Amino acid sequence: MSIESAQMTHAGGIAGHIHPEPQGFVRRYVFSIDHKIIGIQYIITAFVFFMLSGLLAETIRTQLLNANGGFVSPETYNEVYSVHGSAMVWLVVIPLLTGGFGNLIFPLQIGARDVAFPWLNMLSFWIFPVAGLMLFSSFLMGAPTAGWTEYPPVSLQGSAGTSMWAAAIFLVGVSSTLTGINFVVTLVKMRAPGMTFTRMPLFCWGQFATAPLLMIATTALAAALAALFMERVFGVPFYDPTKGGSPVLWQHMFWFYSHPAVYIMILPAFGIISEVLPTFARKPIFGYKLIAFSSMAIALAGFMVWAHHMFTSGLAPYLQLPFMILTFAIGIPTGIKIFSWTATLWGGKIHLTSAMLFAIGFIALFTCGGITGIFLAAVPYDLDVHGTYFVVAHFHYVLVGGSLMGVFAGMYYWFPKMSGRLLNETLGKIHFWLFFIGFNGTFLPMHWLGIEGMPRWVATYDPQFEFWNRFASVSSYVMGIGILVFFVNVLWSIRAGKKSGPNPWNGRTLEWMIPSPPHYYNFKNIPTVYGLPYDFSHPLPYTGLEEELTDAPPALAAGAH
Amino acid sequence: MVENRAQSAHVGPGFWSVTAVLGLLAIASIVFWYWFPLEQYLPAAIVTARQVDTLFRFMAATGSALYIFVFGYLLYFAIAFRVKPSDPPDAIGVQVHDNHRLEFWWTLIPALFVVLLSVVSVKIWYEIMLEPQNGLVVQAIGHQFNFTFRYPQINGEITDEMHLPIGVPVTLNLTSSDVIHSFWVPAMRLKNDTVPGLVTSIRFTPRLTGRYQIICTQFCGVLHAQMNKQVLVVEDKASFDRWYQGWQVKNAHVSNALPAAGGAAVALTGGSAPAGQTLFAQKCSACHAIGPFNQRIVGPGLKGVLHDPSHPDLVNGDPATPANVAKILQTGYVGSLGAMPNATTNGLSNQDIANLVAYLDSLK
Ligand code: HEC
Ligand SMILES: [Cu+2]
Ligand SMILES: [Cu+2]
Repeated sequence: MSIESAQMTHAGGIAGHIHPEPQGFVRRYVFSIDHKIIGIQYIITAFVFFMLSGLLAETIRTQLLNANGGFVSPETYNEVYSVHGSAMVWLVVIPLLTGGFGNLIFPLQIGARDVAFPWLNMLSFWIFPVAGLMLFSSFLMGAPTAGWTEYPPVSLQGSAGTSMWAAAIFLVGVSSTLTGINFVVTLVKMRAPGMTFTRMPLFCWGQFATAPLLMIATTALAAALAALFMERVFGVPFYDPTKGGSPVLWQHMFWFYSHPAVYIMILPAFGIISEVLPTFARKPIFGYKLIAFSSMAIALAGFMVWAHHMFTSGLAPYLQLPFMILTFAIGIPTGIKIFSWTATLWGGKIHLTSAMLFAIGFIALFTCGGITGIFLAAVPYDLDVHGTYFVVAHFHYVLVGGSLMGVFAGMYYWFPKMSGRLLNETLGKIHFWLFFIGFNGTFLPMHWLGIEGMPRWVATYDPQFEFWNRFASVSSYVMGIGILVFFVNVLWSIRAGKKSGPNPWNGRTLEWMIPSPPHYYNFKNIPTVYGLPYDFSHPLPYTGLEEELTDAPPALAAGAH
Repeated sequence: MVENRAQSAHVGPGFWSVTAVLGLLAIASIVFWYWFPLEQYLPAAIVTARQVDTLFRFMAATGSALYIFVFGYLLYFAIAFRVKPSDPPDAIGVQVHDNHRLEFWWTLIPALFVVLLSVVSVKIWYEIMLEPQNGLVVQAIGHQFNFTFRYPQINGEITDEMHLPIGVPVTLNLTSSDVIHSFWVPAMRLKNDTVPGLVTSIRFTPRLTGRYQIICTQFCGVLHAQMNKQVLVVEDKASFDRWYQGWQVKNAHVSNALPAAGGAAVALTGGSAPAGQTLFAQKCSACHAIGPFNQRIVGPGLKGVLHDPSHPDLVNGDPATPANVAKILQTGYVGSLGAMPNATTNGLSNQDIANLVAYLDSLK
């Protein structure tokens, strides 16, 4: 194995040689080193966790049907929303967008045969379900109750599951960090000849902006979690003020990760949207360079705004201002993106496929969440609505209306590349409308609920808020049905869906130039790239692809590293 | 390309009329947000609450105007530019890549808007900061699961309602006896966390009488949702005085009591805690328990008098430092809890005081 496997770890790559495909079910589909299989493994696992934490979400809404709760006990309720939030962030959205779509698509788009470190990739993946099971198993020993942010000292009082939570999130963090390293190296070192950075599809730019965040920010979270774990289990005082610790320290460390994490959750979705829009508008993305550049600007600035989550935590007042103004400033690159996407639609020949509907829905909802983000960045207004349902509304608009809509757009768009079959379009549109209407019904009222005085994290609430809470709960069921339609669609289409062929959408990026699903080695010959993919009136800017769709065997170049 | 020729002539069917409609809607939304009677739904109980409302109106108006344009164009483009059945299957859109003039403007305008919003926000932030420093001091202490309040300038009494006289500036010092809570009064448009081990403060001036709900907005344990039952009562000065059994009279005690015995500051180095403990049992334990502040015999419990984060100030309003404890032992103090005898009455030498302070300092 030794020399063989040392070479296998460079499957694909610049040199362009091909290793034989591993044989046997376990090597191919379980402990796979193929980025496409790993991507699909991530997506399937994440959607299983999505179903579980979606059920938790409906539990939350069912409890809130009545002002005095009554569906579950307050203790259980606190466990439910804490695991819901943690799982949605760390087990659903981040893995779907990075490990999932990242793995599956961007190596194809840059003309690589795999990621730089396939074995590391396998390790990243396998940590993830283990961590997920650990997180959900915390219900058996009393799950964490202090929300996904787990502020000490109250999280120091939480039951044993809180330590399990810390360990589980630490592990997902390790997985994320490894993925980040893998993606950075792949994007820097393994682009096909001619694929300069400024010819890279925007989805790759999204991943390229995200990967350093995964690498750098996650380590701060890991340190914070390790300290929390040590304090809870071994009594080492980091956060308990009666023993000389500082509870605010946790907040700094946590948000130093978690603000960049919101970009981890949105930049890849920006990338998906930037692929879907030109394909279905049949025109180039508007302002390619500005979109690519603004992703990098957002990622960089994302490291400098964490304390906007802490305006009420006792920061020195003058410290609030730079954080406020920098956060406002992030609105500029974000605005540029929104305007560019909107302008991409102008003058197009628009095909309103399910993927396109989700992409347009993404812009509509994400913009709303972006604007309320500006409200929250303004210190005087944040001092009013921080910790209320206004915040809950805001981050669901960006994370569900934004990231998750992006995921769905990506699912409808790339499902053929994963499976060779199309998702059903009629079911897709039903899914979209149920989801879009249910989503707004659920989260729009939360804005005024928060302003009028409904705090977060409550199992019961003031009766004056009952009407809009019921409205939100019923809408959330509509949203839930929409998601069920999606699952039915996937399960049905995977067996009986229409065969897609290599390029069902007339896409122009490299993944559409090869069969669906692609061969193990992706490309028979590594193509050469001559330009941006988005020029519909020009011939495709690639050479060396002539044999991809023929029966010709791959060019098995010798393993010259 | 046919499309190229078609588009260069004009910007598309109905573009300008759609723009006009969106413009009108945007203006309507701006008018709406400036007209909307916010205070009818949520009274503005303190002076700066109205400034926060101003900021909200500004952001809501500009934000919804922007949103109307983005969403309107999105909808209009998606409908106006969709493929028609008559289009050939390989029909493509207008092949524009960018438009530098457009991009320049939609970078510059948001940038200017960010500057404007920063100016507006900083101005309002500054007005909140400018609230007087030397107002009536109130302490709010978060507990699982209620707040308690103390008025150290008046006396150390613990109350579970917060009363404030209208028009008198207030400095609210916040801390916690256990975990982090957050003190929020929606009618004040203001909140701040109560952090154990840390005293933070907010300043404001009540402007409207009424009873306002106090809500904890930071998760603090299983009954967090119940931590919304207390009220802030803003009332006229006379009612406030009555509620507080004439706080001005007691306030007079404070100012009279302090200078009474005078005396030079006690040198605290060289105090012996064990000696202090013996003295305490002889001279103090009749009136003081070694327990938390609210475990009272005559005077308050003294365990943690120097180290309890929920007890940042002594009963006379001075910060809880060894020197100030020494001062109380020297001069005595009369507040609403009763009379704390001075050094002469208690028969304490300066060395005794140093020993007692060393002992109290050792209690944690
Ligand atoms: C006759 C009863 C009595 C005796 C004896 C007495 N005290 Fe006090 N002490 C009080 C009262 C009453 C107060 C609170 C006064 C008020 O706030 O109204 C007080 C307040 C204090 C305070 C301030 C507590 C705080 O939380 O701010 C300290 C410190 C203190 N006493 C220390 C001592 C020590 C040390 C002795 C022994 C030398 C002692 N006292 C003896 C009645 C007594
Ligand atoms: Cu943030
Ligand atoms: Cu609370």
